Amino acid sequence: METLTQWLHERIPVSGAQLRELTNEPVPNHMKRWWFCLGGTPAYLFVVQVFTGILLAIYYQPSSATAYESVEYITNQVSLGWYFRSVHKWGATMMIAAVILHQMRVYFTGAYRKPRELNWGIGMCLLLCTLGLGFTGYTLVFEQLSYWGATVGANIGERVPVVGGLLRELLLAGPQYNEHTLPRFYILHAAVLPVCLVLLIFIHIVMLRLHGVTELRFEDAPPDQPTHFNFFPDHLYMELILGLVLMIVLSALATIVPATMGPRADPLTTPEVIKPEWFFYVTFRWLKLFGPTFAILSMGLILFAMFLWPWIDQLLRKVPGWDEASVYIGIVAVFVITGLTVWEAVVAH
Amino acid sequence: MTHSDPPRDADAECPAGGPPAGPEGRGDPDRRRFLSSVSGVAMAGGLAAGYGTFAALAGRYLHATGTATAWMYVVPVAEIEPGASLAYDSPAGLKIVITRRSGGSQDAAPSASDFLALSSICPHLGCRVHWEPHHNRFFCPCHNGVFDPAGQPVEGPPKADHQPLPTYPLRVDNGLLFIETPVEVVGQDQSAHAPGSTAGMGEPGRHRNKA
Repeated sequence: METLTQWLHERIPVSGAQLRELTNEPVPNHMKRWWFCLGGTPAYLFVVQVFTGILLAIYYQPSSATAYESVEYITNQVSLGWYFRSVHKWGATMMIAAVILHQMRVYFTGAYRKPRELNWGIGMCLLLCTLGLGFTGYTLVFEQLSYWGATVGANIGERVPVVGGLLRELLLAGPQYNEHTLPRFYILHAAVLPVCLVLLIFIHIVMLRLHGVTELRFEDAPPDQPTHFNFFPDHLYMELILGLVLMIVLSALATIVPATMGPRADPLTTPEVIKPEWFFYVTFRWLKLFGPTFAILSMGLILFAMFLWPWIDQLLRKVPGWDEASVYIGIVAVFVITGLTVWEAVVAH
Repeated sequence: MTHSDPPRDADAECPAGGPPAGPEGRGDPDRRRFLSSVSGVAMAGGLAAGYGTFAALAGRYLHATGTATAWMYVVPVAEIEPGASLAYDSPAGLKIVITRRSGGSQDAAPSASDFLALSSICPHLGCRVHWEPHHNRFFCPCHNGVFDPAGQPVEGPPKADHQPLPTYPLRVDNGLLFIETPVEVVGQDQSAHAPGSTAGMGEPGRHRNKA
């Protein structure tokens, strides 16, 4: 055994003490509250998505002639195919929800402030990547929603100033959806975006470790309580419990509400009632409310402001009496986003 | 360092025949710095040019040729009265309404501009509009765009940016009306719509119905 340890140590020259130093960063005490563990949740769900995604890719055939039938085959013929497809679908929903909740937590606790502005920007890129994965994911089934979602998405891209036309043509492999389009969405979903996500998660975590977790104090915390606890094993156990609970919830949802198949894509007919996945309800309603130029440019502007929010917040706080302005703006934004989402959910048009 | 390889410190060992160690042998420090900078910039420029060319080639590779279209024979122009319409089924399965604008003289030879072939592709974000006879309008179910029978936007986002329904190109040759449409629609069973040898020259009236 000692020989083996020696052999390993020669090839992986890291000592136990160095490993402990790497992993055992003191974690602020507020992280014992579950609400503050949301950062690890999307990362865990991403691993679930990679695993189930690889399983689905084994049978999936990314071409407009075969995609729908292959998803139907996975759902109805392959042993437990329905289960893995449903876990993948619910995992996507939960991953997006977890990213949004994590971002809300960071926003409302002001954890994006100096010196963590850049990590907020990385987090925004992670949000966009996750939404991109959600969007490209549902284009792959080649049901009606897939086809019209891809068409609408590419046409939104066309409105991007200067490069919009090129962007749309690159995405659709031509001026409109054709037989070369679906493989592009597949490559984006299964290769390009996951790789971007892995790199961004790595940078996000490195930045987090370099700065340390933002420390928060609560009024109800006992004064004699230690301010920190060990990452290993305390926090690791919390994450493991979270992972276990998520797996149970995912399995239950996948079994009780499994993923279904909509009608096959028909490029000649847009269905009378068509809606994207829930996470795009807000943009879908926004596009109904305003003309395309204003709607798309305003969405771009909102995204740009979100990226720059740490600096905008810094400016706002310099105005006397506006210390909490970001919180109130955040509350209004949450109400508007929730309101538009519910509105889109409850009406046919 | 635990391994037994010899040290690789260049300053520690100067190979025989290498530059002399004296300060005068190392050359002018400014010149060395200049040459070092120039070579650094040249290498960076070379890399940028190389990978830039590579990216441009990749861009060309990704830029697909697009959807094929073809000119299709529709009907002799004399068969459509001013103000009348006909429903044309393209070989790819598209249902297109072609209208002859009213107001022109029937005696004069009509040109392509006397006809209107509305596309059902919504100019807003590309969904298909459908005709609602009870409302006498075209309606887009994606974002609630509404168009009048002439394809003009009357409600919803297309009205805000004044986006009428697009039209298919038409051509009149020797008194015959032709239309340019896509020859295939993705994901469809092409055999169901295959024009075969009649593509572009099908029998008159084969894909048309009097409205």
